[in-house]
Amino acid sequence: MDGEHMHPEGTGLRGALETHEVELNLGPQHPATHGVYRALVRLDGERVVGMESIIGYLHRGIEKWCESRTWTQATPVFDRLDYVGAVLNCHGYVGAVEKLLNLEVPKKAQYIRVVLDELQRIANHLLWLGTHALDVGAQSMLFYGIREREAILDLFEAMLGQRLLPNAYPIGGVRFDFPKGWEAVCRRFLEEMPKKVDDYETLLTGNRIWVQRTKGVGVIAADQAIALSLSGPTLRGSGVNFDVRKALPYSSYPDFDFEVPLGQNGDVFDRYLCRVREMRQSLRIIRQALDGMPEGDLKGKVGRIIRPPMGEAYFTVEAAKGQLGYYIVSEGAEKPWRVHVRAPSFINLQGIETMCRGALIADVVAIIGSLDIVLGEVDR
Amino acid sequence: MNLDWLTAHVGMPLVKILILLVPVFTVVAYIVWFERRVLAFFQSRLGPNRVGPLGLLQPVADGLKLLLKEDIVPANARPFLFKMAPVFSFFPALVGFAVVSWALPWVTPSGKTHGFVIGDVNLGILLILSLSSLGIFGIILGGWSSGSKYPLFGSLRSASQMLAYEVPLTLSVISVILLAGSFRLSDIVAAQQSLGWYFLFPGLVAFGVYIVAAVAETNRTPFDLPEGESEIIGFHTEYSGMRFAFYFVAEYANVVLTSVVATALFLGGYDIPFVKDAALYATHPRLVSALGVCSFAAKGALFAYFFVWIRATWPRYRYDQLLRIGWLVLFPIAMANLVLVALFKLWLLR
Repeated sequence: MDGEHMHPEGTGLRGALETHEVELNLGPQHPATHGVYRALVRLDGERVVGMESIIGYLHRGIEKWCESRTWTQATPVFDRLDYVGAVLNCHGYVGAVEKLLNLEVPKKAQYIRVVLDELQRIANHLLWLGTHALDVGAQSMLFYGIREREAILDLFEAMLGQRLLPNAYPIGGVRFDFPKGWEAVCRRFLEEMPKKVDDYETLLTGNRIWVQRTKGVGVIAADQAIALSLSGPTLRGSGVNFDVRKALPYSSYPDFDFEVPLGQNGDVFDRYLCRVREMRQSLRIIRQALDGMPEGDLKGKVGRIIRPPMGEAYFTVEAAKGQLGYYIVSEGAEKPWRVHVRAPSFINLQGIETMCRGALIADVVAIIGSLDIVLGEVDR
Repeated sequence: MNLDWLTAHVGMPLVKILILLVPVFTVVAYIVWFERRVLAFFQSRLGPNRVGPLGLLQPVADGLKLLLKEDIVPANARPFLFKMAPVFSFFPALVGFAVVSWALPWVTPSGKTHGFVIGDVNLGILLILSLSSLGIFGIILGGWSSGSKYPLFGSLRSASQMLAYEVPLTLSVISVILLAGSFRLSDIVAAQQSLGWYFLFPGLVAFGVYIVAAVAETNRTPFDLPEGESEIIGFHTEYSGMRFAFYFVAEYANVVLTSVVATALFLGGYDIPFVKDAALYATHPRLVSALGVCSFAAKGALFAYFFVWIRATWPRYRYDQLLRIGWLVLFPIAMANLVLVALFKLWLLR
């Protein structure tokens, strides 16, 4: 970056009326890029005329690392992809291995997985909502989001012994049934949470400034969103009805009655509304799963050492950020030959250049927030 | 030139400046503590509570920390302006307090009177307005002389924001001046006392415009664009240590000054609510003076609380929206209101 033309004396020498574009590095150390994401923005005044995403600052070689671990040993590392939606990452991986093993997961385990998955989705959306609102300048929202997320993390801690990266599921099922009293605490949370979501909506959805800051900002049309293969709320904000839980059902999701919230305009506001409504739907799913919890085993028939047959499998779940896919290849050995992750944050991030065209700096920050990226997943 | 003249024009003002500076600095320091505590209660957390009882020594600790920090001047900066800019911001914020009249004059037992003001100049409110415009140069110069991009954006935003909000602010103040018939702050308060009601009621629109413009003027949420910490980090990105503290103190001094001026203009300043001040002053002058200061402080605190409340609730406006509000909403409203107030004064208050 040439600091020269930004120097006060440099600007003086160039004559009073000459203008030029400014290149600005948004990140990798910037409070609103949600990690070490770097956007190289070309600006005309405060208007964005060009933008380039630069990633890779958090690359840890997770996919390669797995190849030197056994199938079981590789499980916990996927929690570290999207570290605010760890349970869902884990579900994707064990689901893929189970698919390759052709293993039937007991119904009870499936229901427990649904409960934990949806709790994790709410926790993720709460953190997203807090940080996104903070980026747009509403700082109190962050603390409300964290407060409710804390209740979910406490539930995880009580059940799984870990809060953030719980390594939730073993291959073949779940480790534990709900501990004593857990369900009651969870049900109390389900009762209180809708009121809290109402509060968030009062603070933001009906707020003039919030609406002005988000409506019509960062628009991406449905066909563009599909062409860029966006997924999750980022896609549904544009009005495309695609939710893996409905389109490619897994883990007993067809048993539950829930809606997929859709947006219309594909702007920051619609993506925000989709996620907030998704929280309500997740609460609905958890309630149904707790009510209809079947009896049975916690784990399918799986040996201590897992050797999936030679072959490949691709399994996707609806993670909090979008469609999270695992493509695994086995040579029949104890270790995977290849694990590839279709990371929704990484693919959704592609939309940012379309969304930011003609936006202002403040919009760029709002748009990054509305994509809900986690750099652990983008860079892997 | 004799001794009496020296006492009256040099000695007393100096003593008063010292007497005023201590509470002003204390209030500025503690309004930071107040804001952090109140914000914390809005956000279901505790806020500073470790340093001293209730965290009351937190401002001292913060000040010490900033004092001991390294003073960094970036290689790309213009050193002289870079170093002077915080002073530019700091100084006008403090000088404004000199013309504020805090209570009815103090009557000593020997019958002498001392005004609760350093200089009760006849253009007091104009002085405050012009000083607050000067203060923004501190931000513009600081951002520009840093030789860095983020601060430059901050200072550019600040320049256009100042233009957009100074005008409605001044227009709303003018309507009060019209009602009172004087630029002197003590006269404005006296006019409200003699009328028996505060200018808040005939000047409700002016009051609204003043509040919005004052929030923009002091760079606070939802108009904190020059700082915009999640977008452009702020005009003071390159500042460290005490120079940063100067900006920080200047911001809060401006909050206090704006609250004080709003109180004087619209809420009757040191007038004690529900009491006939003038009648009571004739019999108990010292009591009224003392209560007047308290009343002033209490009303000012309401404003300060209001500022924090806004910050806890609202998101930030965008640059273009901010300018649109300033020029296309506030400016016409303030202008129309000014005409209405003038007619009101002409026909109803004769």
